[in-house]
Amino acid sequence: MQRGHVHPISSLIREANRIFYEMGFAFAEGPLLEDEWHNFDALNVPKDHPARDMQDTFFIKDEPGMVLRTHTSNLQIRYMEEQVKAGVEPPYRVIVPGKVFRNEATDMTHEAEFFQMEGLAIGTDVTLANLKGTLARFFKELFKGASVEIRFRPSFFPFTEPSVEVDMRLVGEHVPEKLRDRWIEMMGAGMIHPNVLKNAGVDPTKYKGFAFGMGLDRLALLRWSIDDVRLMHSADLRFINQF
Amino acid sequence: MKISRDWLQTYFKDPLPDATALGEALTFHAFEIDGIEHIGTDDVLDVKVTPNRGHDCLSHRGIAKEISAILELPMQADPLRTAATLEPATPSITVTIEDPTFCPRFTSAFIKGVKVGPSPDWLRIRLETIGQRSINNLVDATNYVMFDVGQPLHAFDVGKLAATDGTYHLVVRNAKSGETMIGLDEKEYALSPSMTIIADGADRAPVSIAGIKGGKPTGIDADTEDIVLEAANWNGPAIRKTSQALKLRTDASARFEQVISSEIAPHGLVAAVDLIQKIAGGGVVGFTDQYPITPAKVVVSVMTSSINATLGSSFSDSDVNDVLRKLDLAHVQEGDRYDVHVPAERLDLAIPEDLVEEVGRIMGYEKILAVELPALPHPPAISSSLYTNERIREHLVSQGFSEVFTSVFTEAGERVIANKIDGVRPYLRPSLKPGLAEALERNIRTKDLLGIKQVRLFEIGTIWKDGKESITVEIAVEKVKSEKTEEELRKDLDATIASISVPETYDVLPLSETERYQTFSRYPFIVRDIALWAPATTQAESVLDTIRKEAGDLLVRSAVFDRFEKEGRISYAFRLVFQSFDKTLTDVEVNGIMEKVSAALKAQGFEIR
Repeated sequence: MQRGHVHPISSLIREANRIFYEMGFAFAEGPLLEDEWHNFDALNVPKDHPARDMQDTFFIKDEPGMVLRTHTSNLQIRYMEEQVKAGVEPPYRVIVPGKVFRNEATDMTHEAEFFQMEGLAIGTDVTLANLKGTLARFFKELFKGASVEIRFRPSFFPFTEPSVEVDMRLVGEHVPEKLRDRWIEMMGAGMIHPNVLKNAGVDPTKYKGFAFGMGLDRLALLRWSIDDVRLMHSADLRFINQF
Repeated sequence: MKISRDWLQTYFKDPLPDATALGEALTFHAFEIDGIEHIGTDDVLDVKVTPNRGHDCLSHRGIAKEISAILELPMQADPLRTAATLEPATPSITVTIEDPTFCPRFTSAFIKGVKVGPSPDWLRIRLETIGQRSINNLVDATNYVMFDVGQPLHAFDVGKLAATDGTYHLVVRNAKSGETMIGLDEKEYALSPSMTIIADGADRAPVSIAGIKGGKPTGIDADTEDIVLEAANWNGPAIRKTSQALKLRTDASARFEQVISSEIAPHGLVAAVDLIQKIAGGGVVGFTDQYPITPAKVVVSVMTSSINATLGSSFSDSDVNDVLRKLDLAHVQEGDRYDVHVPAERLDLAIPEDLVEEVGRIMGYEKILAVELPALPHPPAISSSLYTNERIREHLVSQGFSEVFTSVFTEAGERVIANKIDGVRPYLRPSLKPGLAEALERNIRTKDLLGIKQVRLFEIGTIWKDGKESITVEIAVEKVKSEKTEEELRKDLDATIASISVPETYDVLPLSETERYQTFSRYPFIVRDIALWAPATTQAESVLDTIRKEAGDLLVRSAVFDRFEKEGRISYAFRLVFQSFDKTLTDVEVNGIMEKVSAALKAQGFEIR
């Protein structure tokens, strides 16, 4: 029997874990069906924030306060809570890949279910410069042989302050033409908002940290020049067996 | 928010750079730009104002302020830094606010003797350039001020309000059950007690859905002579709820939703009064100002050292000083600490980190260098879940399985989505099996394209069963004679799972070596088998070479599927799969190709069976 095929998302997670492990990041997972505290409130997303509107979030019938998580950021809170409970002080470093949900119609670039990867680093001396350094190394190793530039632009997320959009540019002969020498929007990130640390039981006067959340489907699309995000969730071996 | 470059220019004496340069400046120091459009002789930037700056940047003044800070261009005048005095007061208008939570401030102006007519060209063009419709000089003036300084306004026709002894009484109250109002858009809105309205007198009908839409019966028309101009402040979340409930989002509600400072109201009112007098004439009788909730003054402190400790930068005190100055943030310096007296409209500045962001973005994030995290004394803990799942993956892939992800949504289960937008498959799956079975069936149909003997699928995924969420693994295996069955393969898998113990480090597992994905055709394919007798020395591959050469590009897969020897000869059977990227192939087309293939093989001396 010839060898089968690992899904490209799993391959990407495997590779990401390998790279981040070397940089001291643990690996965590968490629930997809989440309470609003971990998905919204603890992340400093106020009750009347538009993201909490009915059309964006899947709510569960007869289970008030429960949602399908809209991002992997719920694990920021859960991971910190767990460490605090176990009596482990920072530094914390962790990545969290997993499925997330948006209640929207699907098309070539949008899926109601997709994969994200959260990253978190907390310590007494973690800076925005470390975020840049960490992501630069990640992309450099992921896009082997390319020289990678990382650029930040101002942005807004309730759970980070400052917040940035992260763009990446790949330079080098081995870079697929579609990606070469172009700035590509990769993810949202920033320094964790002190309220978020506080909500998870970490002292914001003592510790700081960065967090990022990147779309894995999108990363896979870029990495392998895939033209339709729905292929990721198609279970179609004409797609999967190419990896 | 659509921003006109010409409009923005009115804030500066020095000429602004071109729209592209303005876009770049905003992109790297403030907001994303959704597009730049050339309209008439002007350029319009579509600025994606972030939710934290909806307080002050949904206006040309707000964007001018940003441009001024980023490009270090002094503003000629800042309407929010110019005194706006609401004098004289008039006793002819009285305002009652029943619940100040919903209306922290209500200012108004009484103007008599205006002449309604078309707007002057400059005003009409300003509004049309940013995609607004010019209505008449009065309405246009209020809209202009909203897009200019960010304060929504509304004009009532006094002639249509009820007077008591020559005074007019506006009451801000909750709507009553069953109340309705015809809006300026001529639609009837059914109101409910959670909605704030403005009523004409104590016992009379609503004349405006507060902060969202004015009423038709008291609206401006060609005969309007006397007006009351309202510039109020409304509770953001309440406006949002009402706007959602009525499915009515207006430029005014979009601003109030974001929460704006009640300090802007008089500036907006005075600007509108001045403009109206200029373009529609009339004389000001007087103003009113109900200000039940005065916001506290905010002081936020930040230190240069903590800015650098957060950003990983090496900014100096004078860098910080410069940024605060450029942003017009009044401050007092104590050593390396800056006590910033936050201007009223900057409701986003509340904690030191907010100021860290101001310094970071105005200095420019390109000044932040990439620095790797320091090494930690211990390697990270191993995730037993990841380790186990990776081992399962490797076991299954070595057994010819391919990994799929199917949807968590399904036809039946324990838990159901309350608000699924497409309505289909509303349950959370209690098992991976139905999804995998469906995927198996679909893949069996295209199996010939895949060139595999048996379709074997697996999924590691989340299920919701017996009241809890868990991650599980399932397999689905095509029934093929002479190949292992699903039951046998499941047994192998369970044995592997039982043997897994989590070590101290991760295994090094293979990664995909694929460089890039190749699009596959979505058209149906056609399968043809061909069998032949060949001399004992003939290699299958050389026969396939001939077949491929003759068949051309439409042959997408070809392989030997049967071989046996008899009386010094070999029987080969080949399976050929034909498919086009452009169309559905017909039998006639494929038959033609097969005839060519047969002819070529015969010519080489093979006996077609």
